[in-house]
Amino acid sequence: MIKLIEKIEGEAKLNFNFKDNKIDFVDIEFMSTRNIENILRGKNAFDALVINPRVCGICGHAHLIATVQALESCYDNLKLSNKAKIIRELTLNFELIQNHFKWFYLTMLPLFGHKQQVLKATYPSQLMGKAIALFGGQYPHTSYAVVGGVVCEITEIDIIKLQHYIAQTLKFVEDNLLKTMSENFLTCEDADALLDYEGDLPDILRQIKKEGFLEHGKSYDRFISFGHNSYFKKGKSLNAKVTHNISVSHVKESEMPSSFAKNVSFKDKYYEVGPLARAMVNKTPLVADAHKKYGDSIFSRILARVCEISQLLQHSKELIKDLDLSEESYIEPSIDISKLTASGYSAVEAARGTLIHKVEIENGMIKNYEIITPTQWNLSGGTKDKHGVSQKAMIGLSDVKTAELVFKSFDVCSVCTTH
Amino acid sequence: MKKKMRVLWLSAIACNGNTHSFLNYPYMEQFLDDFEFIYHPVIDSEYSLEDIVSKEITCDILLIEGAISKEFKRADVSVVDIIEKYSKIVQKIVTVGTCATFGGIFRESGYEETSGLHFDQEEPLKTHQDLLDKTISVSGCPVHPEVLVNTLYAIKKSVALKLDNFLRPKEFYAYTVHNGCTRNEYFEYKVDNHRFGELEGCMFYDHGCQAPFTHGSCNKILWNEVNSKTRAGLPCMGCTEPAFPRQNLFSTKKNMAIPENLPVGVGKRVYLTLAGISKAFKIDRLEKKLFDD
Repeated sequence: MIKLIEKIEGEAKLNFNFKDNKIDFVDIEFMSTRNIENILRGKNAFDALVINPRVCGICGHAHLIATVQALESCYDNLKLSNKAKIIRELTLNFELIQNHFKWFYLTMLPLFGHKQQVLKATYPSQLMGKAIALFGGQYPHTSYAVVGGVVCEITEIDIIKLQHYIAQTLKFVEDNLLKTMSENFLTCEDADALLDYEGDLPDILRQIKKEGFLEHGKSYDRFISFGHNSYFKKGKSLNAKVTHNISVSHVKESEMPSSFAKNVSFKDKYYEVGPLARAMVNKTPLVADAHKKYGDSIFSRILARVCEISQLLQHSKELIKDLDLSEESYIEPSIDISKLTASGYSAVEAARGTLIHKVEIENGMIKNYEIITPTQWNLSGGTKDKHGVSQKAMIGLSDVKTAELVFKSFDVCSVCTTH
Repeated sequence: MKKKMRVLWLSAIACNGNTHSFLNYPYMEQFLDDFEFIYHPVIDSEYSLEDIVSKEITCDILLIEGAISKEFKRADVSVVDIIEKYSKIVQKIVTVGTCATFGGIFRESGYEETSGLHFDQEEPLKTHQDLLDKTISVSGCPVHPEVLVNTLYAIKKSVALKLDNFLRPKEFYAYTVHNGCTRNEYFEYKVDNHRFGELEGCMFYDHGCQAPFTHGSCNKILWNEVNSKTRAGLPCMGCTEPAFPRQNLFSTKKNMAIPENLPVGVGKRVYLTLAGISKAFKIDRLEKKLFDD
């Protein structure tokens, strides 16, 4: 049975094979591609800063940050101020947060039989958009992070405005998602204790328990996260055992015969990426507790994504304190890009997980560019002997509607996948 | 119950940037009270994409996002076929963003004959001429949410918008992005020593800023209600124009030290004369930091 899964920033076709009334295999097909990597070839390397955010309307900022870091990795001795690093990290945090609100209120709620809550998605995500625009000029599709730093200068008044956007967003979380002081959410280490609160998140978590969905969506319990910064750690987690010594050189992309999307594996194994992966690698106590009790099910996956909102808001508040406004926003590279022939790569944590960009530059022009997006990790289409992560998560379910819920719990992005 | 206008949001070869820019419209509650989507890429709708392509659903306005090619399909149907079907029944068609208007970035994505609905960059197309009277273009990569939403309200209220040669409402596109930029004085008096990371300076002279020859209201209505790219210090990339994206976007192309693209309507000779005079000002205030000790 073939079902067109819609409203995942595009569509995907899922071909379900049933055996004894249970899903036995799911073939995932993406029907198009936009050839961004070809568009980039032959262009001035800096133009990638303008083109790449246009890979995706909802996580384009991660593509900008990945681009600038990939380009910077091509330089020797490039200087970057701490201030520029912090500003970049802040704006990327804000993009993750806006994404999570949209995913929860626009995508998840309807799958649990609730009315879609457009205003609850747009109100906080607009605040985060303002916070990005304060530095970047606009959201979506700014190119404000350039090789050597950021183009903006910020003032004390900008910081005050920024703190207001964050405070207002935190208040939204406290009034809607989990009705308690943010401190309680951030310090909670017992996933079941969340169920005693009021709010849109505990409503959904209770529903998962009540409707017997706790086993749904389990996959390999194998997670990976490459983009490290002041909050996220790099590493992988296998059955909650975490190691940090991993290298992008073991990440491989391979063609799929039936789809325009490419498979991604690490040492020939498929891994889950995204907020649950990040929380497992970071050993976030609340998510670790959910995982201990409910494994890598939709319960843990949903909780991980939503609680990342509060964590990143809190962390952003801390990061702002580290900003030294007297530092330079931008330090001009000592070598002109037109004299540069080199290759490099970057790995950043986008909303949906690890995003990798690889670039080869010849005399300042792009010779080759490769993009590996988070959804490619999660939706790699394996065989019956070796399922991809989301494929495995759907095996054994008895209906397509539940399979769609599990599929979308990975926060699938079609446009990214079909870059 | 009052009648809502029925809107079909159709994505062709797109990044969904316009979709998410639209979600930044500040008065969404009001908007959803006056309009309903028969299909939208993320907002729930009464119909599925499969319904849209297989049936003919009553609809008042067709919004197209993304570059258009016959070869590109949605739910197994060519986007051109979907557009042709709905364009017959709607009152108005709006090409949302630069891809749907001129081809934009995804004009180069490798599909056969990819372009905007009526334009291949600045070249008017011979196809779909019967739809010219119905179409309004709101270009931009992405479109500004207020430009889109207020254009939809103009349609709802049967306001006859004056359009430019690319079918863009003059209300929004008669201005240049340069209008309202906080760095204007550095341009006016030709203070041309800009560096990134500073509040001061103009990006027109060396950093590729296209604002003086790009049509749009970015600096009039601001983005996300707070800022604009040029105010922040990022050159305007000319994203509302047919030639977007040009190349070498972070540097100003010059001939004999004169920028190749001059402000709209300004001749080379008069620019040179004026630049010479402007340079003579040597305004101390603009040579120093804005927040001087």
